[in-house]
Amino acid sequence: MLTVNNLHASVDGKAILRGINLKVNPGEIHAIMGPNGSGKSTLANVLAGRDNYEVTSGEVVFQDQNLLEMEPEIRAREGVFLAFQYPVEIPGVSNLYLLKAAINSVKKHRGEEELDAMTFLKLIKEKAALVEMKQEFLYRSVNEGFSGGEKKRNEILQMALLEPHLSILDETDSGLDIDALKIVAHGVNTLRNESRSMLVVTHYQRLLDYIVPDYVHVLAHGKIIRSGDKSLALELEAKGYGWIEDHASAA
Amino acid sequence: MAGLKIMQVQPDTMLASGTQFYLDQFEQISDKLPGQNVDWLQSSRNNNLARFGKNGFPTQKDEDWRYTPLKPVTGKAFNLKSAPTSGVEHEDTRSQSALRPIPGLNCHRLVFVDGFPEMSMSDIAGLDGKVSVRSLSEVLAEDPETIRDLLDSVVGESSHGFAALNGALHQDGLVVMLEEGAILSMPLEVVYASNQELTLVQPRNLICLGKGAKAQIIERTVSLSDSSCLHNSVTEVILNEGSELDYYLIQDQSRSSYQVCGVWARQKESSRFSCHTVTFGGGLVRNDLRSEMTGPGAHCDMLGVYSLSAKQHVDNHTTMIHGAAHCTSNELYKGVLDQRSRSVFHGRIKVEKDAQKTDARQSNNTLLLSRDAEIDTKPQLEIYADDVKCSHGATIGQLDETSMFYLRSRGIDPDVARSMLTYAFVNDVLGQIKIEPLRDYLEKALGEQLIREKKLFGQTK
Repeated sequence: MLTVNNLHASVDGKAILRGINLKVNPGEIHAIMGPNGSGKSTLANVLAGRDNYEVTSGEVVFQDQNLLEMEPEIRAREGVFLAFQYPVEIPGVSNLYLLKAAINSVKKHRGEEELDAMTFLKLIKEKAALVEMKQEFLYRSVNEGFSGGEKKRNEILQMALLEPHLSILDETDSGLDIDALKIVAHGVNTLRNESRSMLVVTHYQRLLDYIVPDYVHVLAHGKIIRSGDKSLALELEAKGYGWIEDHASAA
Repeated sequence: MAGLKIMQVQPDTMLASGTQFYLDQFEQISDKLPGQNVDWLQSSRNNNLARFGKNGFPTQKDEDWRYTPLKPVTGKAFNLKSAPTSGVEHEDTRSQSALRPIPGLNCHRLVFVDGFPEMSMSDIAGLDGKVSVRSLSEVLAEDPETIRDLLDSVVGESSHGFAALNGALHQDGLVVMLEEGAILSMPLEVVYASNQELTLVQPRNLICLGKGAKAQIIERTVSLSDSSCLHNSVTEVILNEGSELDYYLIQDQSRSSYQVCGVWARQKESSRFSCHTVTFGGGLVRNDLRSEMTGPGAHCDMLGVYSLSAKQHVDNHTTMIHGAAHCTSNELYKGVLDQRSRSVFHGRIKVEKDAQKTDARQSNNTLLLSRDAEIDTKPQLEIYADDVKCSHGATIGQLDETSMFYLRSRGIDPDVARSMLTYAFVNDVLGQIKIEPLRDYLEKALGEQLIREKKLFGQTK
């Protein structure tokens, strides 16, 4: 699904990622953990193709294609989805309009027929129910005046609609209370299957109680310094990031 | 050279003195203009001519015209047609689409081509007895006395040279009179189409609503060809107590045309005037909108949207005069400027001494899509009362990069994303258009224009 080889990236000339290696197979969920400033969000944004993140060396292969050569919209159409840490408010563009434009551009890219208004509405109502989103939110401007939890649910709604092959959740748990966290996790788990992969970027272990990962990687100073199974997250929670960083520098 | 069209101005159409050219034209054509047997109109024409002869066209030395170069307009020899062209060609697709009614809009309709009514395309049948919609020439021929005290009563003598030129040499136009309590059951659409090269079109409109009367009027200016024309219109609006007028100016002429549009309104107690100006087309467009609220509790909205590219130039001048207490006004102009286009906004608010409890708001927001586009915006507040609320503001910005990335990360094409965001920017103004089919039509037209211009948006990154 996704292979990251020795990926280096910088922002405003400052090196943030310093040699990431990662392999994600179909159906796997990988958690990326790490202290603030370790490069977690940079990795997520580089994979989604955000401007002003400069890849200085390394390669990323997604489903046998060079991901780094693709424009952001092409990555999305090929099946990469980034759930934003800070979803953007867009006054004047209705949520429904965005969702329809998104699903149809993905469908068109895949050579499928675009959805007519009726089919789309039926589908979107079904997906909105999955994240317990009230229908009025569909008709409002994108994320405008949404609470933190509503914004994150809106991200998962978009993800559920687009059915990506690789979902990248960038600190989706930040700013969520426990009820919203459960709803979001339920939405994510419903999408989980043997052909879909996920990268769950998080600072805390809490989210991983609900979205159980196959692998956990710890990122520090732009490198993965330790990988393990879900028990690594628990160990981190107990001992803190200081422990593992000390451990890494001692090694 | 087949298929290659060279646009150039012929030397013999350039003028040394624009003013003299039109004074001469008056000599040649004045006996063919509407209202020949109406003495008071003739003296009004002469007064305006004298004023035009004395002051001429404005220049960039006039503060009110500082940012709008008029040479391309005043240096060309535009001719007023003395008679309608027989058998106007409406067969090509451009003419057809320009004159096509707005989809889904049930309305009364009056069409003028090069200044002359085109009755075959008009439909003003079935009007209420208390409602009169006629052409100016018809009113002047049948009962000129009904408009004697109204025509030229609002514009005033301080207006600019273009208005004086219109006053001297105006052609036909729209006259709408609603008696007390009358309601125009459907919107009225008046279409001014220009067709022949170097035609001067000078419409003169008069709208007078009696007490409590209500009307919605759409005025659309279009081109039937790529020819260069000058559309110089004057509209006077008289709103009596409690009357309400929604007025929509849709400006969609060819890029080689010029438009100078003046709307002068006088509002009595508790009347409501709402003027929406939507500008897509025209090479150079100047709008002067002025409303004087003379009775307490009147309200005036001036809302504008313009979306420009290439070297289009649009200049919106507004004057809001609060002449009585408890009047409210709201101005919101939003523009999208691409390529080398340029816009000017000058919003003047005058609050007279006795106009206490005035609430006047004004705002001009611009989205710049290109580094070469330019906006000059200037508020001008003159406040002589002490218990008032007046606010003004101007913003200039670019498309938000984060929003662009957000939309693209959902698979949306950058061009579509750009037009979505641009559209969102003007949406709150278009959203205030009360006639739904018109709003849909304009939203679609704007969307299509943004997509059409997509290759001109610059880099896609």
